[in-house]
This record gives sequence, C-alpha cells and structure tokens, in this order.
Amino acid sequence: MAMGIESMARYVSPINPAVFPHLTLILLGIGVFFTAWFFVYEVTSTKFTRDIFKELVIALVASIFSGFGILFLLLWVGIYV
Amino acid sequence: MGVKFDLIKLICAFICVLNSVFATNELIAKDLIVKNIDRSIDVSTQLVKVTCTIQIENTGKSPVSKFLFSIEPNLKQRLSYISAQSGDSSKSPLAVQKATVQSRPDDAFWKVDLREPLGSGSSATIEIDYVLTNALSPYPTHITQKEKQLVKFIGSYYAYLPYLCAKQTTTVSMGTKNVESYSKLNPVVKSDTSVVYGPYTKVAAFSVEPMTVHYENNNPFLKISRIERTIEVSHWGNIAIEETIDLEHTGAVLKGPFSRYDFQREMQSGLSSVKSFKTVLPASATDAYYRDEIGNISTSHMRIMADSVELDLRPRFPLFGGWKTHYVLGYNVPSYEYLFNSGDNYKLKIRVLDHIFDDMVVDELITKVILPEGAENINLVTPYSMTRHPDTRHSTYLDTKGRPVITVSKRNLVENHIQALELDYVYPRILMLQEPVLVALALYALFLLVIVYVRMDFSISKDEAGESRLRVSGILDKLLVLLDKRAILYMNFDEHFAKVKTSKDVNSFNAAAKTFNQEYKNITTSIADMISKLKPDSPEASERVAEIQKLDKVLKEIYNHKQALYVDKLLPGKISRSAFVDAETGLNKKKQDAVEKINAITRALH
Repeated sequence: MAMGIESMARYVSPINPAVFPHLTLILLGIGVFFTAWFFVYEVTSTKFTRDIFKELVIALVASIFSGFGILFLLLWVGIYV
Repeated sequence: MGVKFDLIKLICAFICVLNSVFATNELIAKDLIVKNIDRSIDVSTQLVKVTCTIQIENTGKSPVSKFLFSIEPNLKQRLSYISAQSGDSSKSPLAVQKATVQSRPDDAFWKVDLREPLGSGSSATIEIDYVLTNALSPYPTHITQKEKQLVKFIGSYYAYLPYLCAKQTTTVSMGTKNVESYSKLNPVVKSDTSVVYGPYTKVAAFSVEPMTVHYENNNPFLKISRIERTIEVSHWGNIAIEETIDLEHTGAVLKGPFSRYDFQREMQSGLSSVKSFKTVLPASATDAYYRDEIGNISTSHMRIMADSVELDLRPRFPLFGGWKTHYVLGYNVPSYEYLFNSGDNYKLKIRVLDHIFDDMVVDELITKVILPEGAENINLVTPYSMTRHPDTRHSTYLDTKGRPVITVSKRNLVENHIQALELDYVYPRILMLQEPVLVALALYALFLLVIVYVRMDFSISKDEAGESRLRVSGILDKLLVLLDKRAILYMNFDEHFAKVKTSKDVNSFNAAAKTFNQEYKNITTSIADMISKLKPDSPEASERVAEIQKLDKVLKEIYNHKQALYVDKLLPGKISRSAFVDAETGLNKKKQDAVEKINAITRALH
C-alpha cells in the first residue's frame, strides 16, 4: 500500500505562494466591485423596478470572486488553511 | 510424514514471527567470551554517553549469530538510546533489539545481531553506544547562587556483561580539572580531565563494583519535561510547526535568595544557571516566533546560516536549579521539503522531534500531525517504537468536519532520537476547492439574506401615495427606456436612407424597412401597455405619454412618406433631381419639428 519515496515527486502548491498577493488584490478587487454594485442596486431600486434575476447573478459573481479573494488573503497573511 | 514435517516448519515459522514481534527470550551463549572491552564514559554534560568497543571470540564449536548486551542494574532504567555498529572500518549499523533471559529476569538485555554468524574460534569487534539520562545527581543537592555545581556519577568499574571478560578498561571523562573525588580500584590513572580504570583481567560475567566520580559540572542541566510538537500540513504549500515546551533546570536546587545585582555584576555568580540556549531549525524555516502566555519574548535572535536557521533563545529569566519555564516556538517550512506525492497518494517525511538545545533530555514527547481535511487511509511508520494514541479531529479555519490528527508519544528521549517519521495518506486534490467554495457560499447566503430583507415590508401603515409615486416612477423608467429604443430605431433607419441613395439596392432597403416596421410595432404596443398601466396612478403622466404617441404617429407617417418617396420615385428614377431634393427637404423639416416636440415632452417626463 505505502509507496516508496523514490517514486514520488516533491509536493508543491498548485498555486505558487509568490502570486498570493496579486491574486488576492485582483480577485478581491473584482469581488468588492460586484459587492458594491449589488448593494447600490439594492438600495436604489424600488420594489417595482427590481429584477430578481439580475440580483442573483450579481450576488453570485460577487460571492465567487470575494470567496477566492478571501482565501488567498488568508494564505497571504500566513493562515495556511 | 510429509504433512507432519510441513506442520513443524509452519510452527517454527510462526515462532520466528512471534520472536521478531515481541521481546525475545534468549539463551546466553556460554562459549562466547569477551577478549577486550574499552568503555569510554563521557559525563561532561548532563547526559552519560557511553561507547563500548567490544572484541568477542567464539570458543565453542557452533557458530554464534547474536551478542547479548546488558547494563548495570542501577542504570538500566536510565537508558534512553542504544545503537550498535560493526567495529571494522565500514562502521555499518547492527540491529539492536530488547531481549529477556529467563535465568536472569531482573536484568535488562539487548540483543545485537552480528549479521554474519561468528564461526568457531573466530573473533569480531563491535561498537555499542548508549546514552543515559538523569544518571548524574547533583551533590550537594542544594547550592547558593555563587556556588559551583558538583555532580556525582555512580557506575561500575566493570562492564555488566553476560560473558566472561578477559580484559577491560574504562575511561571516565569529566571535561573538567575540578574533580572533587573519585573512587579507586587499582590500576587507576588520573589525567587532566579524565580517569582511566583498568585494565582489569578475568572479570566474571555480571560483575558489579560501584565506581563513583564526584566533579564540577556547570553545563546546563536542562530537561524538557514535556514537549508537544504540532505539525500542520497545508496543501497550499506550507507546513506549520509549533512546539509547546516545558523546561526545567534539574541541577542542584538554588538555596537562599536570588540577587539580580550579583548575577549581573559577578562572572562567578550563577555558573550553573541557564541564561540562553540555541535551537537549530531547518534551513528553510521562516516566520519563527517565540512566545509564552504573556506574549512575544523579545530577547531572542535569529541567525540564518548556510544549512540551518539558528535561534538564540533567552528565557524571560535565568533558569536556576529547580526553576521552570514554558514557551511556544513556531515556524513555517515549505511543503516541498517534507511532503512527497504521486497522484493523490502523499507521503510526509518529517522529524518526530527536532533539535531544541545541545545534549537535550526530553522527558515526554507528544507529536501531533494535523493533515488536511479529507485525508484518508492514513498509515504511520515511526523510526522507533512510540505510543500511538487514538486519532482525533482538529477544527480550525474553513473546516467542516475537522482535520484528522495523528498523535504519537514517547518518554525519555535524547538527541539521537531526532529521526524522521513517515506518514502515508490519500488526499483527493479536488477537496482543496472546498475552502474557497465554503467562503463563496457563506457570502452568497449573506447576499440572499439582503435580497430577502429588501423585499420585506416593516411599515405599520400602508403609504398609498408613496407607493403610487414609486409605481409611477418605476413605469416611467421603463417607458423612458422604450422611448430611447424607439429613437435609436429611427436613427438606424435614417442610415438606411443614406445608404440606399448611393447603392440603389432596393431589396436590402425593403428588408431593412420591414424589420424597422416590425420592431417599431412591438415597441409602440409596449408603450401603449405602459400607458394603460400608468393611467390609474398618474392620469396626467399617461396623458403626456399619449401625446408623445400621437406625435410619434405623425413622425411615423413622415417616415412612411419618405419611404414611399424613395421606393416609388427616386429609385425607379421617376423624379428629377431638384424635385426630389425639394421633397426630401420638406419631409426632413417636418420630421425635425416632430422629433423636437417629442423630445420636449420626454424631457419633462424625467
């Protein structure tokens, strides 16, 4: 069951830790933009003008970018999750 | 007969397997004698390091394949580490195993495999090294701050062997000239920092004769009473190591008061105390921290060397005999140093225990390996026998069911125990996505909450006027969009007029006119719908839009005329140039008027 160490490769992260800061800034930047859009849309639209589909799509994009951005922020600051 | 023979063979094999698993029951080979043994006992630190060079000879007929080794009864409990190697130039290691001898149940034995059986009449040399802990006792047991620390070692003049010994010599090196006393059994020679006992000849098996040396030893008597080493593996490329350490000075206990003034001023004050010590970390260690319950201990230095990172740790106070301290030391190492993989199979090869200070003694070691969440099929191989505790789970950032924790422990360790464990596990790489997806889902739930919240009405009374105003503005917003669309439609059609004037392509113009008319119809009906919706809330606004509709009808009429002018007159060439220009200018002027009127009303709608 156990493999020999000779047949194995040294394990490196799928994403180079050197790019964590850049990834954080880019992903979190996009995430914050969509989050801001979402909230601006929520407070400016009235119940006669709002469109549930548009809200859900903006929220989805915002949460995906922010989610990955926050993960890389954690990794960047040294919380290796 | 054959079956019976096979059965015996099977039983023999089974016994062999049993022997290799449990401590074996051995017989002392009577024909084996020790021709010469040189023992060198190093007591200059807090450890007792013994090296025995043993020359053995087989005087019997049958070959002997193992050598039994034993340690004096008063020291056998103190043994921490033992190893054997061949005495020739190859110095190849020999297997050592704990063994018992039925005729001497009170003695501890270790079986050394000679690898090649020793034939009748031949001899061989082996080297056995062992380390004893807590074998030096401070004497006096209590000293004041300015006194030196004296310790006593009680051993035996003779090596405690189960064989007859022809000749033996023992050298005790104390590393100091300040020897209080040493017991004598001739021949004995005292040199600068060591005492040589022997050679003694014809020593019977299991001979014991207490030997005592009493000397100054101001080396740090530091014992790690407990160390908890946590190794947290992250597949994002990092291994975080944290050691929680309880230290105790086990030398002569400080008697009387402690004077910081004397300690700072006099060189001879507190010689046996520990001011600082050096911890060696792996070369790739980064982000080291040294702290305790209060916070960071600032009196430390980190030096990055070519092949290691040296930490100069200075506790908050100097450690005197009987004093204790507690601290946490942590650092990160990149995963590629210790983690290997092949597909989803991973192997972690990392030290069970690492260097804390030179000549260290560890009373209790607990090593915990925290694997990423979702790791399965865990298989642990320790470099020496350790107690494996039940696996637990550890929950930290972005965990759901917790990460598997493998815990092993062992008591009484020294530097020689700094060896690597191997841990195999399977981890599906896709599980790394679990963490970001978890954050994204949490955020999405938050957004959904907001979406639901804005749809809830917490007002006590119904505000009809405000509601109708909002409805009107909502409809007007949509109306303005539609009006915009219609204006753009007209503009696009204007381009087609310009185009057909040069290309004279009737068919494509007609097609464009058809789509224009279709879209125009759609938009105009939508606007009409909006007007009917608008009517109950705001009759005046709906009137104004109706006005726009009327004007638009005029505008559309003008476009129809223009289209007829182009298709029926211009393109077939039934009109003169000047007449066409006049007609078109007239239509354009009318169009301009209508557009301006529409725009004026539209602007007022905003």
